[in-house]
Amino acid sequence: MKHGIARVLLAFSLAAGIAVPASAAERVQVTGEVIDSWCYLTQIMYAQGTAHHQCALWCAAGGVPVAIRSGEEEVYFILKMGEGETNVADPRVMEIQTHNITVDGDLYERDGMKYLVVDTVVADEGIVNETHETFGVQPFGE
Amino acid sequence: MRTAIFGALAAAACLLAGPAQAAQSWGLIGEEEARFEAKVVDVLCELTGNCPDDCGDGDRQLGLLKDDGTLIMPLKNMVSFAGAAEELLPYCGKRVVADGLFAENRGHRIFALQFVREAPDGEWRRANRFQKVWAEENGVEPDSQEAKQWFRNDPRIQELIQRDGKLGLGPEADKAYFSKE
Repeated sequence: MKHGIARVLLAFSLAAGIAVPASAAERVQVTGEVIDSWCYLTQIMYAQGTAHHQCALWCAAGGVPVAIRSGEEEVYFILKMGEGETNVADPRVMEIQTHNITVDGDLYERDGMKYLVVDTVVADEGIVNETHETFGVQPFGE
Repeated sequence: MRTAIFGALAAAACLLAGPAQAAQSWGLIGEEEARFEAKVVDVLCELTGNCPDDCGDGDRQLGLLKDDGTLIMPLKNMVSFAGAAEELLPYCGKRVVADGLFAENRGHRIFALQFVREAPDGEWRRANRFQKVWAEENGVEPDSQEAKQWFRNDPRIQELIQRDGKLGLGPEADKAYFSKE
């Protein structure tokens, strides 16, 4: 109900040409693996850990949004990493692709998606999810 | 009578030809073809008020803001391993008609952009601008094998893989794994 009212107000504001204020953020700490969102959410291939590291780099460089996976359906799209102003092929994010990290940041939720503006990487365990022995190298095996 | 036959033939031709630009099935889980009108926005700007000029000029993920306030950030375009930001950049701040696929899985409803045109009746463009831009930036022809296989030829990726290996565990781990294959 709350979302329904908010949506009506937002639609009215847009229709009336009234400037819509930026969304409210929630301070969060998130821990999880840095993943490629498209391959993971579509399950077009196995898309976690070392089995998918190379493909995740391809997709990140190609501008597919990168996310942090903290659970089966808990996916946080990284919109900003530290002082960086880019979220397309961000070299800061490509450096930690597939790493297990803990970040502090602001969470924005909109239309079923979680967007994260990361202030700080609090911890970086590196790549710990070794999946290649089980799943091979995705998607081409080499 | 002749008019009726001509009409029937014309209708049949339309049915056989189908629409000029229509979403193409990729067999995704929870797939649904979609065409809708929306304004192209910088997603980070829309959510936080951090708004550079020109939607970030290719450095920002771009979204599709529908009239009812729904924000959709497309994850994919029509080029292998590439996203949609480059496809929407020419339409920053403009209204477009987006054509593509929604897929619903793992608690998320995501969108892949396949075709786009400026609303209401601009020329349809296949969402493959990324390849042309990459080719231009890397000094190769847009239809060359290097551009089609851009992900194998991208210097940013090559540098990281050379340093960390395909598995990300270092060159020695790659050597040990691939020697068993």
